[in-house]
Amino acid sequence: MTTDTLSLTFSALGDPTRRQILARLANGELSVTQLAEPFKMTMPAVSKHLKVLERAGLIVRGRKAQWRPAKLQAAPLREAADWMEQYRQNWEESFDKLDAYLKTMQNEKNKSAD
Amino acid sequence: MEKLEERRVEVSRTFEAPLELLWKAWTEPEHFMKWYGPKGFTAPTCEIDLREGGRHLWSMLSPDGKQMYSTGTYKEVVPMERLVYTDSYSDAEGNIISSAEMGMPTTMDVTVTFEHADGKTTVTVSHVGYGASAEHAGMGWEQAFEKLASVLAEGN
Repeated sequence: MTTDTLSLTFSALGDPTRRQILARLANGELSVTQLAEPFKMTMPAVSKHLKVLERAGLIVRGRKAQWRPAKLQAAPLREAADWMEQYRQNWEESFDKLDAYLKTMQNEKNKSAD
Repeated sequence: MEKLEERRVEVSRTFEAPLELLWKAWTEPEHFMKWYGPKGFTAPTCEIDLREGGRHLWSMLSPDGKQMYSTGTYKEVVPMERLVYTDSYSDAEGNIISSAEMGMPTTMDVTVTFEHADGKTTVTVSHVGYGASAEHAGMGWEQAFEKLASVLAEGN
C-alpha cells in the first residue's frame, strides 16, 4: 500500500460520520438517500463524505445514473489494520529486547552486591 | 472496525523484574539505548529531559544502516507509574519532519503505564490515536477533497 493511500485511509476514517457510514455499509450497499436518513443530513453533505471514502478506496459507487449505491471495500481497511499491526509487532520485539536487558541489569546488580 | 475507530495500538507485557528497574530502563538514556527498537535495530543516541515539558531526542539505527531520529515532549511524568509523551520523526537536531517527507504519521501520543504485583512489573504502551498526525496530515487532504468536491459539484 502506498503511503499516500494510507494517509487517505486514515484521514477518511478520521471523521465519525464517515466511520458510521462505513459501519452501515458493512451490512450491505446503500443509496445516498438511505445513508442520509439517520444523520438527518442533506444529500450533498452525505455525497461529500462518500467522495472522501471513494477517494480512499474504501467504497465503490454503482454506475447507474439515478441510483448509485455505495458499497464497502475491505482491502484498504485491512491494509491499514496491517500497518497498525506492524507497530504492535515493533513494540513486541522491543519488549523482547527489554526483557533480555532486564536480566542483564539484574545480573549486574547481583554481581555488585557480592 | 473498533480498533480502527480508536486508531489505538496497545501492547502490554509482564516482566520478571522490579518496578524500579523498568522505570530506569524507560527513563535513563544509558539503559534506554540498550533495548529500545525492534529486532535488529539499535538506539545509538538518546537524550531525555525527564520532566513535564521536557524534551527527548533519540534515534534508531536500522539493520541496513538507516538512522532515524525522533523527538517529543513529556506531557506527564509520574514516577513509577506513568509516562505520557509525544513522539515525532525529526532530523538529528530535533526538528520535526513532516509526514509527507517520511511517508508515515508524523506524531504519536504515547502513554506508558507501570504496574507492580508480586515482584513482577506489567508495562503497557498505548499510542492513543494517530489523531494528531493523521488529522494533521489529513487536514491538507480534506481541504484538497473539499476543493475537489466543490469543483466536481460545479462540474455537475
